[in-house]
Amino acid sequence: MTGRITNFRAAGWAVALLLGVLAFTVPPCARGASAAGPSAKKDAANATANPPVVKATDADAMRVQGELRFRANCGRCHAAPQKFPPRMMATVLRHMRVRATITDQDMRLVLFYMTQ
Amino acid sequence: MGFVLLYPRRKTAFAHRQGIALPWAPALILLLSIAAYSQTADSEKPIPILTGNAGAFSFVSGGHNLIDTQINPVLLVPLGDRWLIESRANFEGQFQRPADGGPYGGPVTKHVDYAQVDYIANPYVTVTAGRFLTPFGIFNERLYPVWIRALQPDPLILGIGTTSSDGLMFRGGFSVNSAVNLNYTAYISATSIGIGSVDSERHVGGRLGFFFPGARLEVGGSWQRTLQDVRKNAFGFHMGWQPPKVPLNLRAEFARSVYGSGYWIEGLYRLGQMPFWQKQMRHAEVVGRAQQFFTGQVAWYNSPWSLPWANTREADFGVNYFLHDGLKAVASYGRQFSPLGNFNQWTYGIAYRFAIPLGPTGAR
Repeated sequence: MTGRITNFRAAGWAVALLLGVLAFTVPPCARGASAAGPSAKKDAANATANPPVVKATDADAMRVQGELRFRANCGRCHAAPQKFPPRMMATVLRHMRVRATITDQDMRLVLFYMTQ
Repeated sequence: MGFVLLYPRRKTAFAHRQGIALPWAPALILLLSIAAYSQTADSEKPIPILTGNAGAFSFVSGGHNLIDTQINPVLLVPLGDRWLIESRANFEGQFQRPADGGPYGGPVTKHVDYAQVDYIANPYVTVTAGRFLTPFGIFNERLYPVWIRALQPDPLILGIGTTSSDGLMFRGGFSVNSAVNLNYTAYISATSIGIGSVDSERHVGGRLGFFFPGARLEVGGSWQRTLQDVRKNAFGFHMGWQPPKVPLNLRAEFARSVYGSGYWIEGLYRLGQMPFWQKQMRHAEVVGRAQQFFTGQVAWYNSPWSLPWANTREADFGVNYFLHDGLKAVASYGRQFSPLGNFNQWTYGIAYRFAIPLGPTGAR
């Protein structure tokens, strides 16, 4: 019995240590990336495996693509809205993904463009 | 005696539990703090939103004025990475002056347009359950809100295939290749409810569309089979085109059923490219729509849908001016021709779209 208790205690300290290490090593951007959609989880995993090196040119290219997708998809139905705060925009785009059946990739690029 | 014997044993057991719990406590605290930190650090995590639109309009048809005021709140509640609960209600008052004079009066109605749960299963499939807008054509699902629609009067064929659905739907959109996106819906509505505020029809159907991003052209078709009363098919086609170099938006729908058939075609031109008064013109758009309806094999009084009673033609022209983002003033003139009588239809009013966050919005 005492051995089992010791094992539990050791396991507890081990988990606490692991979580503590995780808390200070996992970059916040990788933790939060899952919000954009299911496929973003894969991106987050990749980002953790390969430290993200976001070049300005990549961001610019994504912004340009995002604007193109925005005009192509959103402009089909309505005039361009103002940019909402990022977390509102994420909700709006999830709604529009369902309503307007826009693709997963388009949604993520438009979200990037609309939150810059 | 027994108590004396038991108490130390219990105390010892408690002490043991404390010993085990001690290292787990910081683990739990750390876990919660990670979750909380993720919430605050994640600037793109979706939050619940109360959005929707409101409008006040005056429809003058054949000299009779109808004042229409409405508010359509939309609640969006995202859950986790894949779920979304969404609902839209309609509260509408339609007021007219009685034929013998007197103050304006009329009914105030309420209606649940949709109350659905969406599960984004993967990039190709989203599963929707609950009460949803029937995806027949494009107007009902995409263009219906007053702040989106270019002309406030409904198209004549809007009633075909668009009764609300209570059931299950699969839908999605994905790239076939770099030039073509495919979007689809397949649904079944399992209930037939006659109550006005939550009416629905038992039917099965689907919609398939192809979007060509380069040309900004979308074409598609819809099909629906009613599974109650007269088991009938309805089908339709839709298109939308926004030429990349011109601020023009062309849309059209055709629908056919036993109760009637018809089409509408609409062109909207944004005036931002006008060489004069650019500051004002970039907020303005002009729109024109032509439409026609032909009665079907089954008389209108046997139709469960709201459709014209006779062959009808209508032309509308309008101007919309965006006073502010989400706030637009609208005005239009139309003339309807039918064996029941021709008349003019003037419309003017204001439409507003609102969006209220129900949580921390994140940093810009």
